[in-house]
Amino acid sequence: MKNPTKKKRNLFTQKICRFCSEKIQFIDFLDTKLLKPLISERGKIVPSRISGNCARHQRQMTEAIKRARSIALLPFSVEH
Amino acid sequence: MRNYQSVLILKPDLDEAQVDQSIEKITSIIKKFGGSILKLDNWGKKRLAYRVKKNKFGYYLNIYHTCEQGGVPDLEKEYQLYELIIKYLVIRLEERDIERVMSQKADEAESAGAEEAGGPKKDVAAEKSDKD
Repeated sequence: MKNPTKKKRNLFTQKICRFCSEKIQFIDFLDTKLLKPLISERGKIVPSRISGNCARHQRQMTEAIKRARSIALLPFSVEH
Repeated sequence: MRNYQSVLILKPDLDEAQVDQSIEKITSIIKKFGGSILKLDNWGKKRLAYRVKKNKFGYYLNIYHTCEQGGVPDLEKEYQLYELIIKYLVIRLEERDIERVMSQKADEAESAGAEEAGGPKKDVAAEKSDKD
């Protein structure tokens, strides 16, 4: 407890990009099982700040989600 | 000649014969613009994420094909005019993407060959559905 800042820092574990860890080269927009966890309850795309994805995979994923939306595989918005 | 992927949603209230007919029609449309079909997947009836032209369900077709350069706008127009298609998406594929798709296809064929032991069960199910 001497160094409270150090303890606080330990709470934030390093987030790892799920695509990098699974070595996925290409994100297919038809693979909704892969993309479902990356949209929020409301149907929004989860930012990389929260999901921990690397920039490159976040870009690919965003495009995949947008394509899946346009062909009615994923919702644009979920009404509550 | 470039490679493209078309995802089409057909009306949900079609029977299988009509779906086959529409597949033939779509094939002829693609051939009209100097293309050929590389791979065609029929996903069957699926629930849509949102309503499209008042439909909650739709038949999904996923087609990998080639098309002449500059033919895509015309192809899209044909899709629009074909009354059984309620939604479509055409995207261009790079050379490495189409290679990936084709290698996937080879993998699937191999795995299907490996699962031949489970084949007879499927045949029984098919016969049952015929009787029904």
